[in-house]
Amino acid sequence: MRKIFVEKLEPGMILAKPITGPTGMVMLAKDTELNEKWIERIQDMKIAFVFVDGPPVQEIPEEEALADLETRFALVNDKPFMGIIKKAVREHIKGLYR
Amino acid sequence: MRYKVENIHTLPTIPAVLKRLSVILEKPRVTIVEISSFISNDPALTTKVLKMVNSAIYGFPGRIASVSHATMLLGLNVIKGLLLGVSVFDLMQKTMSGLYEHSLACAIASRVIAQKKNLKEPEEVSVAGLLHDIGKVVLILEFASEYENAMVQAGQENISIYEAEKKQFNATHADVGGWLAEKWRFPANLIEVISCHHRPPLSKNAPLETAIVHVADLLVRARGIGFAGEKLVPEVHPVAFELLGLAEQDILDVLEEMENSMATAEDI
Repeated sequence: MRKIFVEKLEPGMILAKPITGPTGMVMLAKDTELNEKWIERIQDMKIAFVFVDGPPVQEIPEEEALADLETRFALVNDKPFMGIIKKAVREHIKGLYR
Repeated sequence: MRYKVENIHTLPTIPAVLKRLSVILEKPRVTIVEISSFISNDPALTTKVLKMVNSAIYGFPGRIASVSHATMLLGLNVIKGLLLGVSVFDLMQKTMSGLYEHSLACAIASRVIAQKKNLKEPEEVSVAGLLHDIGKVVLILEFASEYENAMVQAGQENISIYEAEKKQFNATHADVGGWLAEKWRFPANLIEVISCHHRPPLSKNAPLETAIVHVADLLVRARGIGFAGEKLVPEVHPVAFELLGLAEQDILDVLEEMENSMATAEDI
């Protein structure tokens, strides 16, 4: 799921979460494929962002994220079970960029 | 110290919302109806609670549209915890930037691990994850400059913020959180999880729940979501980790659900 500002919407994107009005009423259902008409109307609504299908856009590049991980684990690398935890987190972070 | 914390409603720095809340939480034998109407009478609180129960943090299918429905579904203890959780969110943002994300992510991770371990009430464990660091909020509110010193000391001496708190206050955020939870008449298990989440083997009545929140806390830090007072990951307590017996794939599942739920929870 990707959070996207409404100005950046493009036709063909698919809603991953329904768009609801101020009272919680569903205006556009989940799984709706957006076309130009829908996008225009969404941009007219007072909402900043919506959720569409696709991997989330990461804030920092992969190398940086992995280097940060190393820094966080600096003191505990040789402690019991920290190896398996770090390995899993590393896998997880790599998965975010695929 | 304990006396000061327990008389929190007289502290000048404690905001009015927490004082009002403290009154209802402390009431002996408070009923689900009372809690429910307390929430319903406050539109802002109602919105916050409903947003929370409908978010990916809890993972209920469909929409919960009313406070009474939410209280029936979640039970008295969970709704009390949630009420406290949503009320201190703003305070968390003000006292320690990132503590709010840390707590939310910990609530998600706790729920997912509890579900993996087939616990009957994963929502209760989730609330424990949400509130595990509540002691930090109160410590910072009341002892801002001392806490600042503790954080500086932790950085200089390469010790954990938990150890630094011990040196500074002779008590930790886990103690403070536990005292408050007791004062606010939370169930014994929740009190224990909060006061033992840094030393899980001390938990006598809720070892599994305590181990879950301990490991969830650690995974959130390992992933680097939010901020709980220090950048470095502490070591996991081996006994707690062994008790849960999580395989690498289990950890990956927890991380994935945490990541997805946090992406959708940003607007809470």
